[in-house]
Amino acid sequence: MSLRRSSLFIVSLVALGLAAGCAAPGQTAASEEAFNDPLEDTNRAIFGVNQAIDRNVLVPAAKTYRTVLIPPMRQAFHDFMQNLNAPVVFANDVLQGQFGLAANTLGRIAINTTMGMGGMFDFATQFGIPYHSNDLGITLATWGIDEGPYLVLPVLGPSNPRDLIGQVGDGFADPGDQVAAAYHRIWASMARALASGLDERSRNIESLDDIERTSLDFYATIRSLYRQRRAALIRHEEQNLPNPTPIGASLGPSPATSYSVATVPRQHQVSAK
Amino acid sequence: MRRFFPAIGTLFLLVGLLTAAPKEAGAQDARAFVGNLGNQAIQVLGPSVSPAQRVARFRQLFQDDFDVPGIGQFVLGRYWRTASPEEQQEFLRLFQEYIVQAYAARLGEYGGEPFRVLGSRPAGDETVVASQIDRPNAGRVLVDWYLTDRGGALKITDVYVGGVSMKVTQRDEFASVIQRNGGRVDALLAQLRQRIASVR
Repeated sequence: MSLRRSSLFIVSLVALGLAAGCAAPGQTAASEEAFNDPLEDTNRAIFGVNQAIDRNVLVPAAKTYRTVLIPPMRQAFHDFMQNLNAPVVFANDVLQGQFGLAANTLGRIAINTTMGMGGMFDFATQFGIPYHSNDLGITLATWGIDEGPYLVLPVLGPSNPRDLIGQVGDGFADPGDQVAAAYHRIWASMARALASGLDERSRNIESLDDIERTSLDFYATIRSLYRQRRAALIRHEEQNLPNPTPIGASLGPSPATSYSVATVPRQHQVSAK
Repeated sequence: MRRFFPAIGTLFLLVGLLTAAPKEAGAQDARAFVGNLGNQAIQVLGPSVSPAQRVARFRQLFQDDFDVPGIGQFVLGRYWRTASPEEQQEFLRLFQEYIVQAYAARLGEYGGEPFRVLGSRPAGDETVVASQIDRPNAGRVLVDWYLTDRGGALKITDVYVGGVSMKVTQRDEFASVIQRNGGRVDALLAQLRQRIASVR
């Protein structure tokens, strides 16, 4: 617990420092405003170190993980980690007033923890309740808190003060981490974070590699992708996919028929005409 | 729950047929266009296609179905106005080749997976066709196609993958390259030229 408390404190300090740094006059060149990346030089340096760690440690580890475990086992592990994180998703669904999504998450926990044997099998998706992610960074955004300047964190990668605080806050709220902290098993939380990072990385080796190979400025591309992706998650259009059109329906029973469980924000509704 | 949805689908179909007949021709064309594109894409990017073939076919598809001049102008952003006419022409040529090479490689991952058109909506003077690609182990990816009418033919102006605009991503990258080279457009052109040559 104390580890998380102190990291939250550090994060708050960093965020305050950044906010102060941004407010300072004389740093208002048009170019820096456009990308909201006042710490670009530092960020690029950390990005470079992260890339070296990625190439030499993470990717080899992720490749080994893929060689050692057959796909169904990796899928089971992925589903298990996702289910472990579901209480945090649920809490954020509620905090955002997304009660349709919250009901989905609750149903997924109930089905996958029991029938899915502790979360190893994602039966809920087959029953028409697909997974969606959610986190405190998104909650803070829906409460109107600005993302702040772009940050690249050591090892963790792209972020910003809002998402960083959200990450730490989610850690506090996580029941698994609470249990680990109560029994002074911080290593269990760290092992879990590491395992989930490995799982995530092993699923993106090729696509990230393709983007890196074909980019003129990989740093700028990742910065743009991260910002836009977070903005899309905050809009919640993906999770709230509306009813299928007749085109989809005429193909017979399909996963698309089940996305209507959650409420649909009107401005993002796809016309069903 | 599952039984309920086909009924709703039928209802939507009926309502759709009754209300949307003449006026919706444009949106229907747009949906057919994207559905057709999905089938083409599987042929272009399928796993059995060799890399060289993939680039050649993707180039054809990009030239035929995308609004290349419009996208190019957007992607260069405010630097389009500061560039000379020669630089603009040179940029459009290089940009097209760069995109073809980059995306032929990037899209290799998605080859041959089911592609389903979900529906369409208007966005300004453009039509957005929403579609979904189901990837076996990575779940579904939502792809929104922005279409506009260019002289009677539908052209794609942007593609959103998972809520991320490919056009905006490209503009941000190019702007960063230009800014880091003292605002010189010719520095971007040089890098594009170098990149294209190195792949060949």
